[in-house]
Amino acid sequence: MITEIAWKNIWRNKSRSLIVITAVTIGVFAGIFSMAAINSSVQQRLDAAVHEELSHIQVNNKDFRSSGDIQDTIQGADSLMTLIEKTKGVKAATGRIILMGIASTSAKSEGVEIIGVDPVKEQQIFTLPEKLVPGTGSYFKSETKYNMAYMGETLARDLNIIRFILTGDALAKLRNEKVPELVITRLQSLKDQRFISEKAFAKAFEVLLSPSQNKKYGLKIKEAAWSFREGSKVILSFLDVNNVQTSAVFRITGIFRTNNDMFESVSLFVPGEELRRLTGLREGTYHRIIVELNSDDLTGEVTSKLRESMPGLEVLSWKEIQPDLALMADFMEQIYGIFMAIILAALAFGIVNTMLMAVLERTREIGMLAAIGMNRRKIFTMIMLESVFLSLVGGVSGMAVSLAAIAATAKHGINLVKYSEGMEAFGYSAHLYPSVDIKFFLITAVLIVITGIISSVYPARKALKLNPVEAIRGE
Amino acid sequence: MKVVEINDVHKIYHDTEVEVRAINGVTLSFEKGEFTVIVGPSGSGKTTLLNLIGGLDQPTNGEILVAGHRLSELRPSELIDFRMEHVGFVFQSYNLIPVLTASENVGFIMSLQKWPKEKRIARTNELLGSVGLSDRGNSRPSQLSGGQQQRVAVARALATRPEFILADEPTANLDSKSAEALLDIMEKLNRDEEMTFIFSTHDAKVMKRARRIITLEDGKVVSDETRTEN
Ligand SMILES: Nc1ncnc2c1ncn2[C@@H]1O[C@H](COP(=O)(O)OP(=O)(O)OP(=O)(O)O)[C@@H](O)[C@H]1O
Ligand SMILES: [Mg+2]
Repeated sequence: MITEIAWKNIWRNKSRSLIVITAVTIGVFAGIFSMAAINSSVQQRLDAAVHEELSHIQVNNKDFRSSGDIQDTIQGADSLMTLIEKTKGVKAATGRIILMGIASTSAKSEGVEIIGVDPVKEQQIFTLPEKLVPGTGSYFKSETKYNMAYMGETLARDLNIIRFILTGDALAKLRNEKVPELVITRLQSLKDQRFISEKAFAKAFEVLLSPSQNKKYGLKIKEAAWSFREGSKVILSFLDVNNVQTSAVFRITGIFRTNNDMFESVSLFVPGEELRRLTGLREGTYHRIIVELNSDDLTGEVTSKLRESMPGLEVLSWKEIQPDLALMADFMEQIYGIFMAIILAALAFGIVNTMLMAVLERTREIGMLAAIGMNRRKIFTMIMLESVFLSLVGGVSGMAVSLAAIAATAKHGINLVKYSEGMEAFGYSAHLYPSVDIKFFLITAVLIVITGIISSVYPARKALKLNPVEAIRGE
Repeated sequence: MKVVEINDVHKIYHDTEVEVRAINGVTLSFEKGEFTVIVGPSGSGKTTLLNLIGGLDQPTNGEILVAGHRLSELRPSELIDFRMEHVGFVFQSYNLIPVLTASENVGFIMSLQKWPKEKRIARTNELLGSVGLSDRGNSRPSQLSGGQQQRVAVARALATRPEFILADEPTANLDSKSAEALLDIMEKLNRDEEMTFIFSTHDAKVMKRARRIITLEDGKVVSDETRTEN
């Protein structure tokens, strides 16, 4: 009964209620949607960190991380891996050989981490093989007698392996992508010219175009001119087991692209067997075992289990290797809570104001209700419910709008690539696919109800202070 | 059987600069089934007296007993429950909850008292019938005339069979035809349900319908006549 009256009361002054409801809707939408976008960025970063860079758990020789010494290998790694794979919650484990070294081309040299992997096993654990840039080769699939290396785009650029050439094909591609003929004509003068860096290329074409054309088509032009010759050579140098400097020519089997420039610029993958042959490391020796779990939620549990069963080794979860990422994940909810609290606090003022007007307008009616025997608790409840309904209607519509907006953008994402350089340097994707946990919606709903309740206290107390006699008498 | 006993009651208002003796030593009692009107010039204390009897206000001095309850002993929250259980109110205006239909308004106090639904609906229909509004049960107050609204208010006041119904100038905002119709209904309910009515008025025509007329002047009872004919 009280509930029904409260619900009907909020529709007495439709326009006033709708204004408050709209404000709540916008506030909730702003909160959830921006959170969904940030959440997606963090989620993508976490996924990438775990599935491209770290895996869930790493097992190292105790000294290896500080020494980086080729001799600091894991004893009996093969049997350990079998043991690890039998542990509950573990999906797969594989060993890696890790060497600090230098990668050079005729143009440049870069310090790199040379990672010797088992390509078949790695594909079961990491998504990195899928990050291959189309048209640049494969993940260790080509049949050749050469040593092969899989490297990131950033490193390839740094080593001048990636070139920028506006070939006839590239210009045709631009035409296909609806770049105006005028722009293409202006680019003709650069046709088939080879640039060894993105900067030099950009400099060359930017003077030919107007600033707005640059802004609109710059990325497309760079993308079209991006070129790479499969089988390009890179020389890797490192120390072998006897601390003798060793060099070998590797050919690039493929180039991968992630959102993490830092990771891309130092990581270089080669088959473990090749490294073993070149360094003289014995069969079955590894520096690191990486472990993939069935679910990220098991990380803590399995880490401590493995740590217990392998006391001589260093067992680390991804959260321990990159504590900043773990913190980020843990802070998400708190950040969200604070964010929503600020938005809802602002809205609370609107609700208080509206409810106060509603109470003062209905002095006589509330006095009458008290006179005929509606007790204080019921009057308080009525006003409180009105306030909760106002905020809930706005909240639910805000959540509905958010859901619609998330659904609309989740598939193709929101592309911030234009403003992305800063983000990608830290490994955060500039392409956001908004997503929220259902938990966020529940938290939001609870926060909204709390806001409604808090906002009702002052107006409801005002209503209780009304003296029924005066309210009825009052002319 | 006495439903109300008032013993040397005083009500003094201090909240203006001068003190106002709105009720100044009134002793009265009301029997079950009375149909009583309180008259007197404006400011003589009619509203104040009705409020005291109904437990809307507490006397400065003196005792009021209703259905065995000594009102001065009740705490404010108990007073609200006392009103819900024992007193029916009909005010001059603003009687009804605007967002509810006539039926829902009649059923309101029954809901507060948690009557079962079927019983509530049956009683509501019965009362809407006796106030001549059977076909207006689904109308909102704003869709009813002033007289019809007052009839709904009477039906609501009566619904849970309180000790008595207090009506402060129930006809003041009505034209004489509607006022007569309302009085007809009140008389009928007084007869059929043996409901005690105590109401105030300025209107001589209304006065004539009462069986007992109490006249107040300056907060004192100056006459109290019961008519035996009628
Ligand atoms: N809250 C109050 N504070 C001060 N004085 C009051 C208050 N309520 C009523 N009075 C005074 O008490 C006296 C009695 O008022 P009351 O309203 O009972 O008269 P009434 O007989 O109902 O008059 P009317 O016929 O105009 O309705 C009046 O002098 C009035 O001014
Ligand atoms: Mg009066």
